[in-house]
Amino acid sequence: MILFVAANGVSYADGGFPVRPGRLLLAPSVSYFWANSGWDQNGVKAPFADNGRFSSVGTTLYGEYGISRKFAVVASLPLVFNRYTSASNPPVTSSGLADLETGLRYYLANIDFIYYFSLQATAITPMYSNNPSLGYGEEGGELKLAFSGTGHLGSLTTYFNAADGVRQYFGTNGPIQNRYNATFGISLDSDYENQVSATVSGIYSQSDDKRFSAIPETNKDFSFLQASIGFGHSFTRETSLFLSGGRFLTGRNTGVGTSVSLAFIYRLDYR
Amino acid sequence: MMARFTNKILAIAFALVVITGTRALAQEVTTELTTHSTDATFSSTASYTFDVRSTYNKTQSGTVKYVVTTEAGKKMKSDSVNVNIGPHSSASYNFDISGLQSGFYKVNFMINVSDYDDTTKRAFGIKPQEVRSQHAKPSDFEAFWNNSKAELAKVDPEFKVTEMPDSSKDNRNVYLVEMKSLGGMTIRGWLTEPKTKNKKKKFAIMLALPGYQVDLMPLYGVDPDIAILSLNIRGQGNSRDVINVRKETFITLGIEDKNKYVLRGAIMDCVRAVDFIFTRPELRHDNIIAVGGSLGGFLAIATSSVDKRINFCSAANPILSDVRELQYQVDWPFIDIRKYVNTRPGLTYDHVLNNMDYFDSKNFASTIQCRTLVGMGMLDNIAPPNTVQVLYNGIPADKHLIIFRDLAHEIGKKYVVYEGRWMRDTFALF
Repeated sequence: MILFVAANGVSYADGGFPVRPGRLLLAPSVSYFWANSGWDQNGVKAPFADNGRFSSVGTTLYGEYGISRKFAVVASLPLVFNRYTSASNPPVTSSGLADLETGLRYYLANIDFIYYFSLQATAITPMYSNNPSLGYGEEGGELKLAFSGTGHLGSLTTYFNAADGVRQYFGTNGPIQNRYNATFGISLDSDYENQVSATVSGIYSQSDDKRFSAIPETNKDFSFLQASIGFGHSFTRETSLFLSGGRFLTGRNTGVGTSVSLAFIYRLDYR
Repeated sequence: MMARFTNKILAIAFALVVITGTRALAQEVTTELTTHSTDATFSSTASYTFDVRSTYNKTQSGTVKYVVTTEAGKKMKSDSVNVNIGPHSSASYNFDISGLQSGFYKVNFMINVSDYDDTTKRAFGIKPQEVRSQHAKPSDFEAFWNNSKAELAKVDPEFKVTEMPDSSKDNRNVYLVEMKSLGGMTIRGWLTEPKTKNKKKKFAIMLALPGYQVDLMPLYGVDPDIAILSLNIRGQGNSRDVINVRKETFITLGIEDKNKYVLRGAIMDCVRAVDFIFTRPELRHDNIIAVGGSLGGFLAIATSSVDKRINFCSAANPILSDVRELQYQVDWPFIDIRKYVNTRPGLTYDHVLNNMDYFDSKNFASTIQCRTLVGMGMLDNIAPPNTVQVLYNGIPADKHLIIFRDLAHEIGKKYVVYEGRWMRDTFALF
């Protein structure tokens, strides 16, 4: 179970690994994201005007279910509470359901049953209207290729996930985005009870709409690269907890974001 | 007191002299043979390097040579080089063995120098994918086994399952399983199932089949997805109610009549075990893997061939393949079979060979429909590589062969790991 933080939302992805048929995975999570400075269009970093600060609390319900050996359905629904404060203006807040993501993952291939490839098609459906601080308000589609594998580092088991997805929003100036992530994780014990992981991820988003806002959901032409680390603990085979934190390393037309998140993961086999 | 101390000093000094002298005298020649192929198979030319290292104070003169024979011992090629290895030095000699037809060969590398003689035995394959049997299977092979299954179907299995709580461990329940098989014979096995609170949970099932005269006990393990049924075929382990013979006798029991041969009953015992699996609602009837090594490998191949309910076959070092060639390549079981023939008036060895055609594992291989993993030891003197390769090449289904270059009648950890991964992928136990 790999968790990575993208912008101020929380996403989950098993990467290229197939999903067991009949297995339901539910992962409610809560995250906190904040930024009080940003990078402009040229990547120059500066504090937000008027001592501004953006923060967001997000809760996301992620689920995936293996419907056959080759196919799994995935879905995530975020609920966000955004707040922007500045020295001379009253706080601006907005909240609500953001973009629903529903997808179909296909187990593409493997190499010696160690390295796995998957292809995922995802539909993005806005769950709001006329609220740019929750998202573009545009439907979109994404195609993602993921590659995962396991290995060993001394006596410890390791894993990696690498994924790259191209997402297109279909509205006016709807951006086309390249979303990528790579994770390397190590199980700290032979029972896979504890694990640590490091992730780099990012989005490169292109649009004719070059406007900038401290509220990340509003921006269409931007990019960032983020690094995060995580720790996971399994209580039982069915339940585990994952804590992670991340920080934007570089960017363009976006805030210098920092985030923490906590996810509870529940797995149940229905066959 | 002083004398005792002096004696100790002398003893220590003597020991030091002996140790030092022994080291000074420890002159030796060591050799290392490198096969230039990870699995010792080559497309045309077999390539080896023979390294020699000498710690002698004088030059070691002589020859390094190789002799290639077929698995049956027919000499095919040889070559030698004269060597002069100086004091405290080493040398390398490359050998390229070409001009051989597809097949498997034994090769002995021999060094014979002034103060040292040694032989290193290896085997290699040339174009193994082209190896085929020269002997057809009987035209009524399938009919014979269909009749055997029909005969088994008439036997009331009388399945009996007894929980053995004292044997429970690794979070597994253990059951003694008893059933009636061909000829009404009672056979037994051990079923171990992971304990779970999930009432909907169903387990993939591993049917573990025994090696020759091996007494299989309950098999455990921490895998929460796999139940294991370890079966003792008739005449083995706790299935010796009727057949309880000496080890060397088992393989010849009833061999004069293919309808009474012990392996016919043994294979039907395995089919009966599959019948048992199908009575258990907690087991996945479409996730059955038959696993075994040596005779167990033979049984896995045979059962997967005659019973299409097997979904995955794993056969390590399967014996009794290409029997009509095998008889010239190995001692066992043909020594015991010939002895048996000699004690039976009117019975001929040819007649026995004709019967053995119905129990030739390569004849089963050609009708296997499930995914099959095969393990081979290149130095195997019970299931020689060419016979295993014949079997493997005859399998029409999705298959994979893992060759262990330096092992005999055994397989390495790599095989077990691959088997687990492939099985989990096949059964979607991600």
